[in-house]
Amino acid sequence: MKRRDFLKSTSALLGGTIIYSLAAPMAANAQPVTGGTLIWGHSETTQNLDMHQTGTASTGRVLQNVHSSIVTVDKDLNVIPNLAESFEQSADGLTYTFKLRSGVKFHDGSDMTSADVKYSFERCKDPATGAVNFEVFNAVKSIDTPDPMTVIVTLDKINAPFLSRLAENGAGVIMPEGSGDVQGTTPIGAGPFKFVRREFGNEVELARFDDYWEGPAYLDKVIAREITEPTVRLTGLRTGELHMINDIPADRMAEIKSDPAFQVVTWFPLNWDFVNFNHDFEPFKDPRVRKALDMMIDKEQLLEGALWGEGQVTASPSYPTSASYNHDLKQRAQDIGGARALLEEAGYGPGELKVVFKVTTNYPYHVEAAQIMLEWFREGGVDMSIEQLTWSDWLSQVWVDKDFQISMMNFFTLWEPDFLYYSLWNSTGAFNYRKISDPVIDDLTEKARITTDPQARADIYKAVQKRVFDETHDVYLWFRNGSIGAVPGVGGLDTIVHPNGSNLNFHKVWLQA
Amino acid sequence: MIYLLNRSVSFAITLLLISVITFAVTNILPGDVAMMIMGTQSNPEALAGLRESLGLNDPLVTQYLRWIGGMLTGDWGTSLVFKEEIGPLLLQKMTASSLIVVMSMTIALTAAVPLGVWAAVHRDKWQDTASSTTALLGVSLPDFFWGIMLILLFARALGWLPSSGFVDPGEDFLRALKHAFLPSLALGLGLMAHLTRMTRATMTGILAQEFIRVARAKGLPERTVVWRYGLANAIGPVMTVAGLQVGYLFGSIIVMESLFNYTGMGWLTYQALLNRDIPLIQASVFVIAAVVMLANLIVDLAYVLVDPRIRLG
Amino acid sequence: MKGFLNAKGLIGIVLVSAVLLIAIFAPMIIPAEFATKMNMRARLDPPSLEYLFGTDQLGRNMFYRVMLGARTSLTIAVTAVAMSVAIGLPLGIISGYFGGLTDNVLMRLVDTLLSFPALLLALTISAVLGPNLQNTIIAIGIAFTPFLARIIRGEALRVTQMPYVEAARAAGTTDALIILRHILPNIMPPVIVQATISLAFAILAEAGLSFLGLGTQPPRASWGLMIQASRDYLDVAPWTALVPGAAVALTVLGLNMFGDVLRDVLDPRARAGG
Repeated sequence: MKRRDFLKSTSALLGGTIIYSLAAPMAANAQPVTGGTLIWGHSETTQNLDMHQTGTASTGRVLQNVHSSIVTVDKDLNVIPNLAESFEQSADGLTYTFKLRSGVKFHDGSDMTSADVKYSFERCKDPATGAVNFEVFNAVKSIDTPDPMTVIVTLDKINAPFLSRLAENGAGVIMPEGSGDVQGTTPIGAGPFKFVRREFGNEVELARFDDYWEGPAYLDKVIAREITEPTVRLTGLRTGELHMINDIPADRMAEIKSDPAFQVVTWFPLNWDFVNFNHDFEPFKDPRVRKALDMMIDKEQLLEGALWGEGQVTASPSYPTSASYNHDLKQRAQDIGGARALLEEAGYGPGELKVVFKVTTNYPYHVEAAQIMLEWFREGGVDMSIEQLTWSDWLSQVWVDKDFQISMMNFFTLWEPDFLYYSLWNSTGAFNYRKISDPVIDDLTEKARITTDPQARADIYKAVQKRVFDETHDVYLWFRNGSIGAVPGVGGLDTIVHPNGSNLNFHKVWLQA
Repeated sequence: MIYLLNRSVSFAITLLLISVITFAVTNILPGDVAMMIMGTQSNPEALAGLRESLGLNDPLVTQYLRWIGGMLTGDWGTSLVFKEEIGPLLLQKMTASSLIVVMSMTIALTAAVPLGVWAAVHRDKWQDTASSTTALLGVSLPDFFWGIMLILLFARALGWLPSSGFVDPGEDFLRALKHAFLPSLALGLGLMAHLTRMTRATMTGILAQEFIRVARAKGLPERTVVWRYGLANAIGPVMTVAGLQVGYLFGSIIVMESLFNYTGMGWLTYQALLNRDIPLIQASVFVIAAVVMLANLIVDLAYVLVDPRIRLG
Repeated sequence: MKGFLNAKGLIGIVLVSAVLLIAIFAPMIIPAEFATKMNMRARLDPPSLEYLFGTDQLGRNMFYRVMLGARTSLTIAVTAVAMSVAIGLPLGIISGYFGGLTDNVLMRLVDTLLSFPALLLALTISAVLGPNLQNTIIAIGIAFTPFLARIIRGEALRVTQMPYVEAARAAGTTDALIILRHILPNIMPPVIVQATISLAFAILAEAGLSFLGLGTQPPRASWGLMIQASRDYLDVAPWTALVPGAAVALTVLGLNMFGDVLRDVLDPRARAGG
């Protein structure tokens, strides 16, 4: 097989969402065959299996194969029908009518009806469920089911992002009526694979669901082995213990790509990272201090250092190809002298600002990034130390207790701008762990929710980005690349990445006999 | 008989103490169960509610009694992260680890006994120096370093053995052995070094004793003297030391199983600690301490059987 | 002093003094920034004239890191062992000298603690306290205390039964004086030997804790941390693991050899095979 690289969609500017490239692909004329068990070395541990309750991308990535959502998105992130074969919004924007697809079966053998949709939506809305996306349904006044194939959702006020939020399983998943109690242990959905079992921290087993409404998958089984150690994953692929792995170690990318023994899929973006300031920490109440620290960071070099260049720096967290991406913003260039002067102006002479950087070992590249930043901060006269935290400690100290000064986190590309900007920067947002309270942003994010004109909405979000940048509420760093490595016998890899860049879908993936 | 009774009572008391210490230490762990369950969706109100429903607000004594009561009646609770009943989970992981513990002990003993005897027989000669130096080197390297070296050699360079993962022996025994081999070898190397030194010391002592001299004087071949008379008397003390190393092994498997992604007891305990899975930490720390104590007790009892003089003491 | 003259003793002394000298003087000669200075154009460079021990994943000079890491490792080990001796000594002496109920209760507790593998104990304590340099020391120190207390108690008990102690008692000397004058000086040699050997274990324990992320924090140079960071680069840059691994091995080897010889000299009774 001759090695060649080709771009699935040539560039972000042309409107393609994921820049997708496949090195050393399987011969194009190979015909898919049914059968076989694919063993996937998954980079992360799945957590809570209840699709409504789970907040981790790792779990969503696997459950993408078990569940189907009411609507979904195409490659350009346009909302398209899925379990609903059509949907309609009333002129006043308050009523949504979904016509359901007939012949959709759940894994328990039952047929999907409007009752299941009503059940799923109400379960997500119910605070007792503890759903991550419960607020999607906040404005929902009623859910009516005039017949088994029709669902009418009525809102009491306009919620512009409502439909697009339903395109992700977190809010849009349809579960069989009454299955809530077992979702956490044995998820049941209408996706291409049935959930068989999970051994926590070790592996998840999925089996083909023959009655899948889009036609049965090729693979008999998918076994996702959870191997967080990057080199161990790579060794598994080399020895043939694994058919494919996600997240190829960044430093090995060049080597693996040029190795004819592997197929490599890379795409952009997988997720994005930013540096966080605790806005309750006295020195960081002064925007000049935050800006000074921003000026000490050379983002390009940090990307090179922490991720071996496997990503692209950005001054906006909006999906790079989306309308709301603010192209006018440019990251501040490194200017240590200027930063020192600014710190001095804010009242901190060299060595007077002492900060602790809490970083989670869950993302080893964060630990490296923190070490690199520490050098620059030291040059800039900031006395910084690093504290490594386990994932659970990071969650409890930084996320919940807000007991931190500087930290760093990544988020999966929340392509839906309301989900992204409201959750992270509104003072009441679910993901606002930095205690940011900026009335300007609060107003803008609320306004966007009731603005239905797409262009006007996009402009509001651009204004939010500019505000975050001007005030240096956080420091956006980069979008990170996603990658999959596979042995030559795996086919259909060009279909595997979900448009959100995070989820993997095995429906059209197959193994050469 | 009285000795046995005495030991059993003291075993029970120590077990109780272990439970108290385990419970006390795990209760001052920062972060809690409720936080871990909710993860990124945590918010103060929901957390407070969950804490209440989990009984985390009760006085510590109440919590301890509830815990120990549950342990005694066979209800070990449910792991928060693994979402599985702790009893069966521990049993399964303990089985996985036993494979490693037994294998590493076997590897260590098979190598250490002949090496130690060899060194003792050739005391202060080059054989002794060679064996002691090897043994010293062995104890001086962190066992996870051995692990890394073995991965480099057997998994990366030679590709003979898998570098990670656990396979259930009930499913495929041969593959299970293959997966357990490298971690066992890494553990065994450190242990072997230690046991070699012990065997040498014990054997040197025995070979200097009167009955050996008598045996030699009777004209018995040296081979018989050393192996039949010498080793037979050395094996007891050596086994005792080996038994005492079970504790060391259970400390080391935490690092080793994490390194090899071998999902046994050490891996489980580390995961529990990382995730603040308090019920699981409590149970697994308790079980490990109890197993170590049990191993020591068995060694003691075996010693009594072998060496009747101890009964007098 | 005859024992010091054999080859093993010599190697032990040379290794221990070398590490000690490095730990004391390296930080005075090598500026701290040298160990954290990064060079993105020289990542994972193999050993060369410019980089004697190669570079790590952030282009830091492994030579400086391993040199400066000596102080981290030794500081932790020495302080932790000093701590366990400081706690173990009074406990052991009280237990061994007074005997009776105190002894029973204390030793029951010590035996219980001994059933927890030291590394598990240190790991749990470190998780309780949160990882940093000081807490690593406390964790290792506490984890080693029961072992030392047990040994000290045995020694104290042995000395207490000596005729001169009984004579002193009969003469009406106060307990405090007996402990100071007779017990303490006589149990020190074996305690020093045990402490030396414990140092070796403490260095291994620090490496183990840091390896699991619950010990020393980056970017401080520590051998265990260096080995941990090397895991992802093992097959492309094995020196990142071999260099700190060798540092640990040589130090522990030196301490073990030194301890063996020290035992021969100070505590001949315990001489293996005696």
